[in-house]
Amino acid sequence: MTAQILAPHESMELHEALNFKTLCLAKSKLMQGIVFDQELKDLMQKDVEQSIQAIAELQAVYARAPFQAPVPTNRPTPILN
Amino acid sequence: MNPDYLDPINALNMPEMADTTFATDFLIRAKEGVRNTAIALTETASPDARALLRNQLRQGIAMHQEISDLMMRKKWFHPYELNEQYQLDQLSANNTVMIGQMNLFPEDTRRKGLFDRTPDEHIRGNQA
Repeated sequence: MTAQILAPHESMELHEALNFKTLCLAKSKLMQGIVFDQELKDLMQKDVEQSIQAIAELQAVYARAPFQAPVPTNRPTPILN
Repeated sequence: MNPDYLDPINALNMPEMADTTFATDFLIRAKEGVRNTAIALTETASPDARALLRNQLRQGIAMHQEISDLMMRKKWFHPYELNEQYQLDQLSANNTVMIGQMNLFPEDTRRKGLFDRTPDEHIRGNQA
């Protein structure tokens, strides 16, 4: 089955799932610098590794969204308030 | 514990309370992940998207189990003895409210102008 374009609704679900997993990765990584308990830190590291893998899988499918576009290397216009 | 962030008495039992809070945050993120993924799965049609989400759902359930087990072992979570859980919930709320009332970040923390430019841009060094 060729790489089919995703249906609209599932594309938005993947948008949500990818953002959620990205934030979970960021937080689990950040928290490792704050927690005291080593076992908790180790479990967060496991979550980090699983999340990295999950993000790669999500990105691959999300790339078939109808609204996909080339991904910039950084934000085009830095926001200076 | 008291609202004075300089009082060393507040360091007493702090690591344990802090870890309880971080673990609880970790737990609710895992719960949210499982719930979101289950709902996402029921909205997907493409076979490989479904396979992916089903796999992540299983992984999420396993991670949720691991976090719950760790928390129970560490006495950070008491699903069976609810009077214990009650005490933990109220104490954590009291402590966190006190932290919320502390004046911890009074200085100017904007610092955004320090990043998005080359070091000598402000003296037009970058056009030299």
